[in-house]
Amino acid sequence: MDDAGPSARRGGNSIPVDDATGAYGASGFVDSLDGLGTEEVASDVVLLRRVWQNEKCAPEILPYDASLVERVREQVQLMEENIEAFATEIKDDLMLSLYRMDVNRTLFLLRSYLRARLSKIERHPIHIIDNQELWDRLSEQEQEYTNKYCEVLAKHFEQTVLIRLPEQYGSMLKQTSLASEENDMITQPQLNTFVCCRSRGAIGSFQLDDKGDESVDLMTNDLYILRYKPIRRLLETDQIELI
Amino acid sequence: MANYYDLDDILMEEEYVTVHFKFEAKGLGVLDPGSEHDDIEAGAVVDIPLWLAHDLCLRKFVSIKLPSFYNERIRKEIQADASCVDLGRYCPYFYELGLRLAPISPDPTLGSFLLYCLQGRYKDMLCKAHTVALTTAPKFLNLLTREETQLFEAARDSVKSYNKWRFQGARLERAAVLGRKRRLNALLSPFELT
Amino acid sequence: MAMFGKKGAELVREAKQTLATTDQFRPFNKDLFEQVVKETEEHYGHLQERMSQIRVNDSTEGGDPNFVGGCAQHRSVLRNKRCLLAYVNARMSKIKHLRWDLGAVLPDDITGNLSATERTFFQGYSDALSSYMAEINLDLTVDSTPPKDPYVQIRVIGNLGEVLLDDQETSLLPHSIHFMTRTEAEPLVMQGLLEIYQG
Repeated sequence: MDDAGPSARRGGNSIPVDDATGAYGASGFVDSLDGLGTEEVASDVVLLRRVWQNEKCAPEILPYDASLVERVREQVQLMEENIEAFATEIKDDLMLSLYRMDVNRTLFLLRSYLRARLSKIERHPIHIIDNQELWDRLSEQEQEYTNKYCEVLAKHFEQTVLIRLPEQYGSMLKQTSLASEENDMITQPQLNTFVCCRSRGAIGSFQLDDKGDESVDLMTNDLYILRYKPIRRLLETDQIELI
Repeated sequence: MANYYDLDDILMEEEYVTVHFKFEAKGLGVLDPGSEHDDIEAGAVVDIPLWLAHDLCLRKFVSIKLPSFYNERIRKEIQADASCVDLGRYCPYFYELGLRLAPISPDPTLGSFLLYCLQGRYKDMLCKAHTVALTTAPKFLNLLTREETQLFEAARDSVKSYNKWRFQGARLERAAVLGRKRRLNALLSPFELT
Repeated sequence: MAMFGKKGAELVREAKQTLATTDQFRPFNKDLFEQVVKETEEHYGHLQERMSQIRVNDSTEGGDPNFVGGCAQHRSVLRNKRCLLAYVNARMSKIKHLRWDLGAVLPDDITGNLSATERTFFQGYSDALSSYMAEINLDLTVDSTPPKDPYVQIRVIGNLGEVLLDDQETSLLPHSIHFMTRTEAEPLVMQGLLEIYQG
């Protein structure tokens, strides 16, 4: 268990059997409710939900949150062990069902998060490999997967199409070696697309273009529909969240 | 080319536009039904697909004439009642084609006309997407361009997904790719065994 | 006669059809594919012919008839290349879905509609995905929808016989109805061996 993790503060690794609400909130789904009005201490599951939501909504791949994933997985494992142990002791099927539900929902978030990342990798694998900043955002296992995926992809294109074309046209990076200087076949995410976001704090006036013609006043908890590109730095620093 | 594999982009480029050849072109006679030999003469006016026209135009070998559905008459129709104009019939890629032509066309108003056009039609479309019956394919769908149909369907799908989520929850189902046949076979098999 | 991309566009329409068809996997259209490859060769042949006839002195004017013609042939090769790759790419995205929906082993009637290289691709993709999931020790192909209940009631459709469920041996006879955990049921439902039963 990562002691520094917020979960340690919540005591998320044990199930308080005498308090259904507390148990249900142990890994976070009720936190967002009872956190209202009081000082909000985000549990790891709440954090994961935000990371997952951002990943689902952003057009590009976002930095992998390795320590968060690790903490959540440890908590899930503990929860499962506890359920196992309590299953023999408690005869309360409803309670057990609730615990299982909690674990399942957390696992769904985790799987869905990792799936969303794989699907982005598969959509623009070469763009990611070519770009150091993006490459560094992947987990080690994702990097390995990207390499393997590219290999399989290149082989398939090569054997099905490229080998049948005249030599100067046989690259999967350049349309032709006769004219184009750059790799003009690589697909990229559309960063200028619009996204819905919520401001997590009073950011104030924020410039949306280089010229300073367009700006927006970002207020706490307000919703906005903006272009992704100018606000991506705000996402990086956690000042906004995508929805 | 960020959308190299985009099927709709490829099909949009297959739309024909009229060009005027400024020079003779060897070996392209097949593009010109009026030509009786292998070549296209200088000065010939020929319909060719956009992907070819675009490149030849950038090289200044040809000049492009805007398709008639961007002309004054259609613009007046749009001004009169935007959502009733049958743009889909003129060109399924009315907007995308226009966007591609705008930088190489002599008409500087094309871009703003496209924007005006979509603005005029968008609200009505969205409204219908949220209100018409979900199962039927309404008549006015025929009036939409391909890009508009995609918007319409996106809006409709979001209503559908919302209802699904709200009223019954997502269900586990067998993979659609297996078709329906196998299921019947599987159901029959126990009887065959006995 | 090479028709300047007409066949290529047809192939792309076929790709759209393949994506739109949800109740089966359309066979690889070898005929059409080969025609586009052949046209590409023809365009390339014409291109070389045009280039060989360009006289160096004339080309400075920018309007050498052979150069104009050659450019169009070159463009056509590029166009066909794009159509061919887009077709292969569209099918590839569907093939990847098969791995997620049906698992690492495909039923024969689907395999039959893949080309030889596509089968190799499926295998390679499946291996890459499997080893990634083994590496992170988490099966990502389950939980495709948010869970509402840890257990589901299912009815058996195919004949599965004895299987290990929740560490207990259970006999799944056709038409019998069982409770099982959602994660265990999901792959079998996707493969059409079980269905969710709402009594």
